[in-house]
Amino acid sequence: MPSDYAYVGLFLIFGVAFVLITFFFARLLRPSRPNPIKNRSYECGETAVGSAWVQYNVSYYIYALIFVIFDVELVFLFPWAAAYRSLGLFAFVEMFIFIMILVFGLAYAWRKGALKWV
Amino acid sequence: MNLTLIIPEIFLFLWALLILFVDFFTAEEKKHRLGPLSLVGIVITVVLVVFSGQGQAFGEMFSADYYSLSFAIIFLGSAFLAICTSIDFARERIKHQGEYYALILLSTVGMMFLAASRELLSMYVSLELTTISLFVLSAYLKTDLKSSEAGLKYMILGAASSAILLYGISLLYGITGTTVLKGIQAELVGSAFPGPLLVISLVFIIAGFSFKLAAVPFHMWAPDVYEGAPTPITAYLSVASKGAGLAAMVRVFFGSLLPVTSEWIPLFMALATMTMVLGNIVAIRQSNIKRMLAYSSIAQVGYILVALSAASELATTSMILYLLVYMFANIGAFAVVIAFYNHSGTDEICEYAGLSRRSPFLAISLVIFFLSLVGIPPLAGFVGKYLLFLAAIQKGYYWLVGVAVLTSVISLFYYMNVVRQMYFRKPTKNDPVKVSWSLRLALVLSLIGVIAVGVYPDPFVSLISKAASVFVY
Amino acid sequence: MTLYHYLILSAILFVIGMYGLLTRRNAVGVLMSIELMFNAANINFVAFSKFITPNEFIGQIFSIFVITIAAAEAAVGLAIVLLIYRNYKGIEVDNINFMKW
Repeated sequence: MPSDYAYVGLFLIFGVAFVLITFFFARLLRPSRPNPIKNRSYECGETAVGSAWVQYNVSYYIYALIFVIFDVELVFLFPWAAAYRSLGLFAFVEMFIFIMILVFGLAYAWRKGALKWV
Repeated sequence: MNLTLIIPEIFLFLWALLILFVDFFTAEEKKHRLGPLSLVGIVITVVLVVFSGQGQAFGEMFSADYYSLSFAIIFLGSAFLAICTSIDFARERIKHQGEYYALILLSTVGMMFLAASRELLSMYVSLELTTISLFVLSAYLKTDLKSSEAGLKYMILGAASSAILLYGISLLYGITGTTVLKGIQAELVGSAFPGPLLVISLVFIIAGFSFKLAAVPFHMWAPDVYEGAPTPITAYLSVASKGAGLAAMVRVFFGSLLPVTSEWIPLFMALATMTMVLGNIVAIRQSNIKRMLAYSSIAQVGYILVALSAASELATTSMILYLLVYMFANIGAFAVVIAFYNHSGTDEICEYAGLSRRSPFLAISLVIFFLSLVGIPPLAGFVGKYLLFLAAIQKGYYWLVGVAVLTSVISLFYYMNVVRQMYFRKPTKNDPVKVSWSLRLALVLSLIGVIAVGVYPDPFVSLISKAASVFVY
Repeated sequence: MTLYHYLILSAILFVIGMYGLLTRRNAVGVLMSIELMFNAANINFVAFSKFITPNEFIGQIFSIFVITIAAAEAAVGLAIVLLIYRNYKGIEVDNINFMKW
């Protein structure tokens, strides 16, 4: 209904206007005296030291990525295994194809040297 | 179960694996031959698509009909043209060419499944196959800062939009108790009052799809990704990813949500207006041709959304035809950009000065593609836009068509800016721009497409209108 | 426990994810927020499957597919973040603005 969306539009206008007006008054009222200590990032009152990012070996990440993929694909096997007896040969063949695709992926990663530990 | 229907998709998938396999045993300096090899695969797939039968497989999940056929041909066509434009670019600037071509083919497989699926689960899975391949492709220039930034932005916003879409789908499933589109439609016809939950789910679904289409206000990823991604991928993204979004969107909205049109048509009209206005106006200010084409392609989506809000058989016909026309014109324009970039290593519009004297063929082709994007008769863009606007006029959306025509006139301005550079400025260098056989093939095919559809649209329209009659309006 | 409890839980998760997506400055944090949004949808699917269509398992099957796709997306995402780290020497999203918005 177009009239229902008009309310949304009204809210939008009010929302935007409210923020703009608040910012405008805040700008009028506040003093502005920045200094380097105020602008520094807050770390529980301590002086911030160094970077939070320490380098790990890259091959570690590649292992992790491959693991994430293959680990989660396993979730397809559980429902199949639970209903294996009633599904019959067709589902078996389908699952075989699925696993062959995964094997291709693994062989690909292997061949590309992603499994080599350096 | 009718497995013969999905033979084209399976074939293309196996061909992608074949390319990965051949890649292992190819010496680095011969790897550019994988490009022509993937072209062969696409041609065979086109033949298979045309000659494979029609019908349904996997219950309601997969349906091979004229709708999926026409979209599959558009997707395969854009993959073909994109690979044509890739071959030189990839040989010089891209490592791991085998994966590059395989990923293009895999995303095409995803799109083909997407156009054929009539059920939300299979639709979602194939949409993800498409977009995840494209995430990787857009970050493909590994040492290039812009490319990795493009990849990151595309990945974050693409994944977020999938999540939003998925949430909407989950609500729709909750309301109707089924994920089959036909079942959803049957449920919605029965209910008199749709309720707030349906509105929320519609808003989420539209937002999710609008991200894929790059419709304003969900467009912010597009300019950066288009600028940063490898240019052939930009060409492919601009057509295929939009086409995929459109294929899914039309299937969902015309295939299941027609009983509640009053809820979503106003939203689409608003999206269309914003997209046309913002896309065209911001494009004027761009100095990088890839960014300009990005905004122009955002604007083109606006025109498509005009027809989407008309929700009629003519609207569907016009949207698919427009996508076809847009594919030829846009990939053609990008082919010129790629040829120029391969030669000079820059995408700045001011560098195009005097191109008409350096390479008259490139300059005139770019002019033709731009005129088609504006919609000047007798080029294909005119037929496309005419049908889009006709669909909207039939529903009485005169003001929407007014906005569309007005913004088309604005678009003339920024396209002609490039033309002015090429024809009325003195060249800074005089060497002609070299164009290889593959780029030339892409250019000539796009030119033929743009002119043929423009001069003699009847066979295309009649085929595509068969696709549009899949839905009951 | 009624359907509404599950829906409210999923809505809260989704909103937290959305908030994280918009405010997180670290790319890995952004990825985790997106993962939350996927899981919110998953809760919806499983809850609807239990309460709306108790005899069919469409929703549960859907959620299994979503889990695997989200993993694939996360893997590609982390790979791209790794690439960003190598090129930019950091993964603060605010700093990755080589191109203007």
